[in-house]
Amino acid sequence: MRIICPFCGERELGEFTYLGDAKPQRPAADAGEDAVYDYVYLRDNIAGVMSEHWYHGGGCRTWLKVTRNTLTHEISAVEPAAGAGAAKVGA
Amino acid sequence: MADFSWEVRSPLDRALVAGSYGAQGDAGVSLTEIRNFDLVQVMARRGKAGEMAKAAQARFGIAAPETPKAVDIADATMIWSGPDQFLVLSKGGKHTIEALAPVFVGSASLSDQSHARALIGISGEKARAMLAKLSSIDLHPDVFGVGAAAATSMDHTSVTLWRGGDHDGQAVFNLLVFATFAESLWHTILDSAAEYGVTIGHSEELA
Repeated sequence: MRIICPFCGERELGEFTYLGDAKPQRPAADAGEDAVYDYVYLRDNIAGVMSEHWYHGGGCRTWLKVTRNTLTHEISAVEPAAGAGAAKVGA
Repeated sequence: MADFSWEVRSPLDRALVAGSYGAQGDAGVSLTEIRNFDLVQVMARRGKAGEMAKAAQARFGIAAPETPKAVDIADATMIWSGPDQFLVLSKGGKHTIEALAPVFVGSASLSDQSHARALIGISGEKARAMLAKLSSIDLHPDVFGVGAAAATSMDHTSVTLWRGGDHDGQAVFNLLVFATFAESLWHTILDSAAEYGVTIGHSEELA
């Protein structure tokens, strides 16, 4: 498997580390225990297209958001994760 | 009270044995460690990449690299190391962290890496063949020309690789590696290069 880093170009899998599902959003401070439990522990086991966080630690050390099909490993999109690359994205 | 004195030594001081290594005959790979350089990491603060770029332009008279490239100026090289960050490599104290700090005040965070990296120059007829064993980067001249750079990994070790100006008609690849990993990577490089024959040396001059 290869990932096309938006900063470095196409690189082998060995340069990247998988973090996990990029979908969960931190709930508001007053969202309640169930929402926090869901955010921290509960994950969907997706068979199909999934949004994931990957870290390009063996390269430009940027966090990436990768859209990958977990059945075929086909990658349809790679973009910098929020906050990555300081000026490149707004967050 | 005891007097202490610091002896500055290269991270490859022990591992590097100048001379020839591996296959006899004409050496296919030349390895030159460059010693005693100044290296400063410049990283834009959040939302300040534009200001950092302006400051770099004002200081060096040329834009800092925004894509994986190495840019040579008269007395330094700016090497891309990631989005909104680059390294300044120089000699002779012209672009030390003390000299650059006022330039980037407010726009970028600086970190002195002068003694944190080892710098290895790799050239020779078989340089690409040897590097191909360690790296999945395409180093074909059509793809990785003079001034191309990459933040990548070799033998599970993070490195900064860039192609300097050709020397005697041959490509020169420059490799920056963390000081504490330098000896390990050095031995891996020697193993990879042995079949081609190696000339080993060290220099005080940037390639």
